[in-house]
Amino acid sequence: MHKIHELYTNMREKLRFNSRKERVDFIIHSMFLLATVVSASFIIIIVIFIAQEGMIPFVTDNDGLGAVNLWRFLTGFTWLKGTAFQSNLYAVGYIIINTLYVAFLSLLLAMPIGVLTALFIAKIAPKKIAEVLRTIVEMLAAIPSIVYGLFGAGLILPWIYEFAKIFGVQSKGGNSVLATVLVLSLMILPTITALSEVAIRSVRSDIEHGSLALGATKTQTNFKVVLTSAKSGIFASAILGVGRALGEATAVSLVAGNARSGPSFGLFETTSTLTSTMLQGLKETVGIDYDIRFSVGIVLMVVILLTNVTLNFVKKEVGNVDVK
Amino acid sequence: MKKITLFVLSVLAVFGLAACGGTTEEGWDSSSNITIYTRDTSSGTRAGFMAGIGFDDAAEDDNLLADGFVIKDNTGIFTTMQTDEYGIGYVSLATYVSDPDVVKALDFESVEASLANVMNNTYGLKRPFNYVLRQLDDYATDTEKDIVLAFVAFLETTDGADIITNKGGVPLTSTKTWDDIKADHTVCTEDNSGVTIKFGGSDSIEKIAKALSEAFAPKCGNFVPEHDHTGSSDGYKRTQGIEKDGDNAKHIGFASRPFKTDGSEGTVLEQDELNQDETKGQLAWDAIVAIVHLDNELDNVTADDLMNIYSGTYSVWDDLLE
Repeated sequence: MHKIHELYTNMREKLRFNSRKERVDFIIHSMFLLATVVSASFIIIIVIFIAQEGMIPFVTDNDGLGAVNLWRFLTGFTWLKGTAFQSNLYAVGYIIINTLYVAFLSLLLAMPIGVLTALFIAKIAPKKIAEVLRTIVEMLAAIPSIVYGLFGAGLILPWIYEFAKIFGVQSKGGNSVLATVLVLSLMILPTITALSEVAIRSVRSDIEHGSLALGATKTQTNFKVVLTSAKSGIFASAILGVGRALGEATAVSLVAGNARSGPSFGLFETTSTLTSTMLQGLKETVGIDYDIRFSVGIVLMVVILLTNVTLNFVKKEVGNVDVK
Repeated sequence: MKKITLFVLSVLAVFGLAACGGTTEEGWDSSSNITIYTRDTSSGTRAGFMAGIGFDDAAEDDNLLADGFVIKDNTGIFTTMQTDEYGIGYVSLATYVSDPDVVKALDFESVEASLANVMNNTYGLKRPFNYVLRQLDDYATDTEKDIVLAFVAFLETTDGADIITNKGGVPLTSTKTWDDIKADHTVCTEDNSGVTIKFGGSDSIEKIAKALSEAFAPKCGNFVPEHDHTGSSDGYKRTQGIEKDGDNAKHIGFASRPFKTDGSEGTVLEQDELNQDETKGQLAWDAIVAIVHLDNELDNVTADDLMNIYSGTYSVWDDLLE
């Protein structure tokens, strides 16, 4: 009781403002604190909710089906053998591999294009054109993923179907790793471009001038000095790009073919990602088949977390050139 | 710089060649593999399709399907069939008739897939959407009974048919509008806002049933519709069967298959006998159609063909065309 009283007097002491300015300052401070607490607590609520639902298949007997075997779940190469609602044999091992593989390929494709676009906008293009191009890239980022999905299903799939024929492959309507990679690359391109551009712009101009003064051409300077100096920022754009590629669901499930077993490495094979698997039949299903999707959600969050940690580590290793 | 130019040129050349390759069509090759497309295991259309071709076990079991199947939703299958010359999939008939020129619908057992053939009961790949009411002497109040009967009458109007069509079903033929018959149902002129009518049964019909009750409640004294759809078998059980007086009792139940019950649960009713029982009837058909690419040489399939395709027994189109 004494303690509480002490705390209370302390609080009063603190809340006794000497001037109006101090009081306003305190109020503003509190508002910011509140906003931060609210936004930060949402992630905790989400994690707790997903974890709670996602644990159910592993810790209960799922109405007599038996608990899902965690090891099998993480390493198996078939999503589900046998009847849904009558089996607990779910596995996402191959899906984890597929997801990482697809995200990696997308990055491999989008990275050079994005960085070169950024370099062009930031350094090479005339101001007016740069302005227009930047707006276009920003608009690309604002397109909802379902639109990318429809674009993929309506245009990219037929194109890949015809493309596969050239190699004598009868692809499954174009639903393939390649289609997924193309759609994802398109989606992470604006992220990579926008962030790389910021990184390139923030390279100190005296470094650039030094290079030019030493007799290097503009192109040599751009590639050997500017890009090298901005590599940390460019790497940061890659990290965000991978994050988006891993988390994208709607567009992917429209073009991936949603393979039920794998892993699929061939470019014309159907594939599936953690997100597209979560999305399949989500609206219509119940019981373990519903709960297991939350478990996949946990796996997805862990995969994204690990990937980000790894890439951040690599980013540190890549090093940082002094940028302002 | 020269290197870059060379690189760009070679890339362009590759794409140019690719474009050429794409335009040389050799026509439809029946020795190609069949690519099968399906809905996911929780889909009602999949359940209806598999039941229709006598492959019930595959409704919820991907394991029984041919290797390398592709999972897509209704529109996904429909658009892919415009591209994939060697694919086969199934969609609801409503999807097909809305745009019949972009894919080829296969005749089922030599009957063309059309609304007319569904309604005259010749097209086989379909399932009935049926309703079952409480027995007429088994209502708590006359008001409840009259509202239920008015609702059934509403099902047979063009107003009801439009709602059913909007939700993907194939309604039965109807000529009257609700305005024509509402004078017969005086209960609808009263204020029924204190009356709750409970709907239950098939979850495949849930969307249609909800849309119907939502549209009908304002026309009939604002009664309160309460929906609790737990599956076809509960439709009969909770209106006339063993649960009819329990907590889950319903006024109207729905079933997305013909009523057939084992002896303990009442009479076995064939589809044709439905009209002779005033407490049971049909509100719509759910018809499914197998679709392929326009270039496909196949025109007709049997239930066995489809089962053999989906189970992987037939792996190339020649297996069917022989």
